[in-house]
Amino acid sequence: MRLPNGLRVLYEPMPWLPTLSATLLLPFGSATDPAGAEGSANVLHEWLQRGAGDMGSRALSDAFEDLGVRRSGGAGRETSTLGVSFLAEDAAQAVPLFASLVRAPRFEEPEFEPSRELALQELESLEDAPTQRLFEALSARFFASPQRRSPYGDAAGLAALTPEGVRQDAARRLGPDGAVLALAGGASWEELAPIVEDAFGGWTGATEPIPTPELAPTARHHVAAETSQVQLGLAYPSALPGTDEGYLYALALNVLSGSMGARLFTEIREKRGLVYSVSAGSRALRGFGYTLGYAGTTPERAAETLTVFLAELERLAAGVSADELERARTGILASVVMRGESSGATAARLASDAFLLGRARTLDEIRGKVEGATLEQVNAYLAANPVPEPTVVTLGPAPLEAGAGAPAAPDTPAQEER
Amino acid sequence: MTSGLRFDHAVLPNGLTVIGEHNPRAVTTAVGYMVRAGARDETPDVSGVSHFLEHMCFKGNERYSADDINRVFDELGADYNAYTSEERTVYYGAVTADKGGRLLELLTELLEPSLRQDDFEMEKKVILEEIAMYQDRPAQRLFESANQRYWNGHPLGNSVLGSVESITALTRDAMQVYFDRRYAPSNVLLVLAGNYDWDAMLAQAERRTASWRDYQVVRERPAARPARGYEELVDPKLTRQHVALYAPGVPVESPQRFVPVVLANAIGDSSGSRLYWELVDKGLSDNAWLAHESGEGEGAFVGYLSVAPAKAEEVLERYQQVLARAQDEGLTPEEWRRAQRKIATGLTFRAETPLGRLMSFGTAYQTLGVYESVADVVAAVLSTPLEAGLELLRRRPFDDAYVLALGPG
Repeated sequence: MRLPNGLRVLYEPMPWLPTLSATLLLPFGSATDPAGAEGSANVLHEWLQRGAGDMGSRALSDAFEDLGVRRSGGAGRETSTLGVSFLAEDAAQAVPLFASLVRAPRFEEPEFEPSRELALQELESLEDAPTQRLFEALSARFFASPQRRSPYGDAAGLAALTPEGVRQDAARRLGPDGAVLALAGGASWEELAPIVEDAFGGWTGATEPIPTPELAPTARHHVAAETSQVQLGLAYPSALPGTDEGYLYALALNVLSGSMGARLFTEIREKRGLVYSVSAGSRALRGFGYTLGYAGTTPERAAETLTVFLAELERLAAGVSADELERARTGILASVVMRGESSGATAARLASDAFLLGRARTLDEIRGKVEGATLEQVNAYLAANPVPEPTVVTLGPAPLEAGAGAPAAPDTPAQEER
Repeated sequence: MTSGLRFDHAVLPNGLTVIGEHNPRAVTTAVGYMVRAGARDETPDVSGVSHFLEHMCFKGNERYSADDINRVFDELGADYNAYTSEERTVYYGAVTADKGGRLLELLTELLEPSLRQDDFEMEKKVILEEIAMYQDRPAQRLFESANQRYWNGHPLGNSVLGSVESITALTRDAMQVYFDRRYAPSNVLLVLAGNYDWDAMLAQAERRTASWRDYQVVRERPAARPARGYEELVDPKLTRQHVALYAPGVPVESPQRFVPVVLANAIGDSSGSRLYWELVDKGLSDNAWLAHESGEGEGAFVGYLSVAPAKAEEVLERYQQVLARAQDEGLTPEEWRRAQRKIATGLTFRAETPLGRLMSFGTAYQTLGVYESVADVVAAVLSTPLEAGLELLRRRPFDDAYVLALGPG
């Protein structure tokens, strides 16, 4: 359903559950941060939860907690999320309270500075979290478009923010048109629809278009850090999940990295003992799919780890075996069933579908596509679409010297201040 | 979800206890083996063996190679893994309900490992990588150290991962000795949850484990002499000051075991708690919390603070003032009720999936020997009286806190 204000609303009844989860996907993130105000989305996301309607920050928080509501969410690149989960019987109180966050944020002056301070502290904490730092550096090198910007923002951008500036930012992009509200759980739509319409129908405000993702030229980078393990990340464009090609690629990616029996885990951890953690997973922005790979390993084994990782990506073009495909198919179908038992996972799937694909897929549709993909189709797709050379970023004591392809060049700090 | 549930229970002739929570509405089946063997059962010379053994159990036996194990889990479409803590080692998985028997079959194979020498040497490298990974995570490193220092020689201070030295020195035969002394059927609990055929699963478990011979396993439970005071570790590579706080808590067997849980939530939940309002809301810390952890015989409040080094002293003092003020002035009925409701909601959401249920009622049964439905636990939390929390605060546990800081100095 789409409300007159443009908000898209989706609901999946799970009548056996006493619980209800709601995810609100807001079309603002670091990619649409104003120039010179990097981190504005993050501060906006924090500030808007500090008081709404006739309730100040404390009263609002108490109201959620009196209902036992658990809140979640965060600012992202293209979108930011607000999530709530509560007992379905409390929907008539919890949903309007949830809506008040976006309908009537107070944006009180005294709450601004702590919101900014919190963002600065998160940015500082990132320095002590090498894996997260790696992925921020990887996105900064992979994208040429504003999707390269970190949701954490940067110190200069955060320092430049003003209460008035962030209020104007909210007026520019905290609106319902392009936002998605997805709910799942133990209520009937007949009960829930009027509550949702009443709560969110009066929400007004503008939104901004999200820029089209553009990629930077493929390259290798190194970020110097005194870590025990080299953090190794790679990124390359891949089929958009939920499209016909996306299903074929998802099956192939499952063969590569869907489980502890998959190729990456077998070749890199089981056979060679090079890592504890290695993985590759697909990600999506609106209209654009890509894959992120990760491995963490001690410095003397990093070159071999990267070499084997790249060889496995290349080997995909030669196709997968019938047995591998069947195991991947079973794995994806089982995970569809298992996620279907959780209200939070179901709401997240609905929201992501609506945002990325413009519609929510049914479980039957997903099942049909996964069951219908033949070995010939998957292998023809892989042969026609070999994995392109990825952008590779390493973070650790020294750049890698070996590994297939171009050697690592010293990093020129763009986002890192140290 | 709470209607139509049935608790199943049997003890096999070999001493293995099998329990289940059958839910006719579930579309999946979760199966887990919970072994009462963890870091606290280790001697210093085999530090880390419980966790290393957990990895080795996935390496197979005469019937299954390591590849076979991974492949069959995939053929079942299983969501599976294992973990090791101070208290136990748990091997678990979930599958669609038609495959529960095959999952039980495979998990049972895990508990009959060959511990082959070449697998052992290869997996040792993986464990050393895991230790290196945690070295790069300051909070993990801090808690590893703080846990050991707080428990001050008590087995609850033992490291789950072990050290580079202890893992490097560990032998395959020492691991076999450990396995032969801890994996007795009477020291293992087989747990089922979701949709399954009890009679068939029970018969299968009995047939498959008939060769397991039982023996007595003793867990040491010495008295704890926890440390108190303040210590600091310096690592110039770090950017933030990371602080851990420990204080005496309540053991898991206590009839009062939910009291410290509600208390810790009211004081130190990640949102809406006293620490949240005093530190996070004000932008003094991006992460400040207090929780309660209980083990067999002992429990502890455990807290954490992340702060800019320049403000570390001031903010840590505020953190400790929050605890002192709770001891001096108590908590309000509203604070207590909110904490109760938040915990109840969390328990209810965790119960959405059979795997979530398995973890909750399985660990409780293993420690307490009684089955608790989610409704039982929610009711127990909601009926925990504020007065019990105030009584606990009057004993002033935070006066005996141990604090360890890790930062750039």
